[in-house]
Amino acid sequence: MASVAVSTPLKSHKGLFSSRTAGGRMPLTPSPRQRANTTTVPVKNSSPFTPERQSGREVSRPSKSVYGGNLSSHFAKSSSRTSHRDSPKSNIARGVATPRKALELGVSDFTLVGTGNTKTPASAKSKKAPLRQKTNKTTLTYAADRFIPNRSNSSAIANVGSGKLDAHDKQRPKSSGTEASTVLSSATDDAIAALEGLSINDDEATSYSRPSPNTVAYQDSLANACGVNLNTRILQFKPAPPESSKPIDLRQQYNRPLKQASSSSAQFRRRIATAPERVLDAPGLIDDYYLNLLDWSSNNQVAIGLERNVYVWSADEGSVSCLLESSPDTYISSVKWSDDGAYVGVGLGSGEVQIWDVAEGMKIRSMFGHDTRVGVMGWNKHILSTGARSGLVYNHDVRIAEHKVAELVSHTSEVCGLEWRSDGAQLATGGNDNLVSIWDARSLAVPKFTKTNHKAAVKALSWCPWNMNLLATGGGSYDRHIHFWNTTSGARVNSIDTGSQVTSLRWSTSYREIVSSSGFPDNSLSIWSYPTLVRNVEIPAHESRVLHSCLSPDGQMLATAAADESLKFWKVFEKKAGAAAGVGASGSSGKAEMAKQMTIR
Amino acid sequence: MAPAAAEKEKDKSKVHKLSLKGSAKLVAEFFQYSIHTILFQRGVYPAEDFTAVKKYGLNMLVSSDDQVKAYIKKIMSQLDKWMQHGKISKLVIVVTDKDTGEHVERWQFDVQIFNNPKSKKSKSTAAADQENNTPSASNTASPDPSKTEPEIQAEIAALFRQITASVTFLPQLAGDCTFNVLVYADADSDVPVEWGDSDAKEIVNGERVQLRGFSTSSHRVETLVSYRLGE
Repeated sequence: MASVAVSTPLKSHKGLFSSRTAGGRMPLTPSPRQRANTTTVPVKNSSPFTPERQSGREVSRPSKSVYGGNLSSHFAKSSSRTSHRDSPKSNIARGVATPRKALELGVSDFTLVGTGNTKTPASAKSKKAPLRQKTNKTTLTYAADRFIPNRSNSSAIANVGSGKLDAHDKQRPKSSGTEASTVLSSATDDAIAALEGLSINDDEATSYSRPSPNTVAYQDSLANACGVNLNTRILQFKPAPPESSKPIDLRQQYNRPLKQASSSSAQFRRRIATAPERVLDAPGLIDDYYLNLLDWSSNNQVAIGLERNVYVWSADEGSVSCLLESSPDTYISSVKWSDDGAYVGVGLGSGEVQIWDVAEGMKIRSMFGHDTRVGVMGWNKHILSTGARSGLVYNHDVRIAEHKVAELVSHTSEVCGLEWRSDGAQLATGGNDNLVSIWDARSLAVPKFTKTNHKAAVKALSWCPWNMNLLATGGGSYDRHIHFWNTTSGARVNSIDTGSQVTSLRWSTSYREIVSSSGFPDNSLSIWSYPTLVRNVEIPAHESRVLHSCLSPDGQMLATAAADESLKFWKVFEKKAGAAAGVGASGSSGKAEMAKQMTIR
Repeated sequence: MAPAAAEKEKDKSKVHKLSLKGSAKLVAEFFQYSIHTILFQRGVYPAEDFTAVKKYGLNMLVSSDDQVKAYIKKIMSQLDKWMQHGKISKLVIVVTDKDTGEHVERWQFDVQIFNNPKSKKSKSTAAADQENNTPSASNTASPDPSKTEPEIQAEIAALFRQITASVTFLPQLAGDCTFNVLVYADADSDVPVEWGDSDAKEIVNGERVQLRGFSTSSHRVETLVSYRLGE
């Protein structure tokens, strides 16, 4: 009967005080010993102990006032524990003891909070009284300072500084929570206020008060500084510092492995064939960095300019045909397939640009305008952009008689790199003047961005296929860098120091990788992961510098032409067996459709 | 004996004592590298933007980002002028939290100029400084107060090592940070438009650590870093 009445209030209290009373399970199967203990202890405990503890806490509170809340919870825990001990108790003794306990607990807790609220201010007040005396002492020391005006000006200032610094030192402990110091500091604040009432300039005083020295040496230097300070001004370089290109997590920086992930990622790296699939002779290939003599069409034909001839090699059939031979007074300086793979643009040393229909094997038209050699070309649908040695870039609309539709003036030296973005909205050009110009197709009067980071001619340009805004550019022998640009913001996103002349860059269409071909001294192909910029593989490709490279329409094969007069094919981006070349096929069909719409007169 | 001593003296004078101008240049150069180093060490700009350059016998990391380079160059061009004229008493690099605008770290370089490097006074100060800062130099107990260039370089290298090592005790900088350069200049110095008066950007209740310094025949540079205490 009594036990039932007792147990319910107990549970409710458990819930109230803390979750640790989950240990209340223990008493459900109490050992006889425990029982013996509990019976003896709580009986003594029940009423006399709790008040004692309370009083003890009251005593301790003034020093630990901050922890008042914690203490009460501590108490709650301890008290709830005692209540467990009660629960297994037997019969009348328990019946009497526990309700009393509960009552006391409730009361005591409330009184705890109550006294906490009421008593702390009281104690603070009571403490303040003696402390005031202390403040008198401190003000006395400051009062001593007040007599200083008799001394020389500078020493007075120095003293004021140190006095204030003391104040700061005293203020600091305030945060640690001892009441005495807070009062002290408030007193010192008063003192400072009084000091500021002196004839010392407010500004100076504040500037002195800021540094709180840790060392005597510093105080000395501060005093020295104070002497100087009177006639110095603090100047700030006002322009805002440039934004960092990306958020930085220092932890990541600290944990960066010395060898950039290359060793760790070795097991994840894919295998790349380092031997060429096929080697062709390219006799008479002009060893000139500024020309662009190799291109692979969407119809899987490779065009290469060898001195005065353009040869077309069909990758499907393996057959070679000579498309054209220029007049003896000039040479081929660039070749470029139209997007549909039906026509090839041919730039000549004379500045003439010819367009040839490859299937028919006949010239369709010649376009004049440049008076220097045309070293680079790029198609954007019906627009053929040509870059010349003069530094000028012309846009030709190949459908109309008045073919020159735009003149892009930016470079002051030979243009050797030119690449349209796949959507035709932006054009990137690079020149021998070390500039990279990024043009907006809608306004070609001035480049949208002109980048001067490269320290040598920029021939290698490549637009990222999966991120329209990403452009990679590679510099010549004195530069050796690949820079990556956000062409919307103009920011440089990343850079690689390749260690050798960058002659061409090609993004993979299927991997997050970019391949760079290099001239002196490596004559190699390097495949870089992006954006980690880890060099996955370096293939010693040619005996002399690699001049040109181009990707096959399916994106798997890279063709390279080098000064050793050879044309090599590398399966660097081999697709996995499962993944069909869907992208390349759809792309070429789309181009074929577009070709029907274009007629070249 | 006497002629030999004279010759020795002559030799010493050949050991390239830095003129005031040269010393100012050296200090300004030191400032430039310290700005780069702090920007790198404290992650104000991404680590990829920095390239290692051999300097002071160390691999110094220098930003290769054009905008940052141009920004520091602009600061340095003015700083050079001020240094040449002895107008500067402090250079301060303040690292500020971009989001809260709170100053989280403050690198202060105190510059002291010895006005008459030839006189005995400067000798004594230099000796005292040596006592404080370069035990190796004081061990040699050289009567000549002017240090050789390699000695100065070694002092600077030791200071940069300390700055680099300071990342171990400086609190982690959370979030994006930016920086400002302050200069304590004489009131009568010429101030170009890019520079304007500012407060000291002190760190409230910051912790301070005095780092090494270095001295040339005509300058003495002390380093102090203060930072906000982590809660």
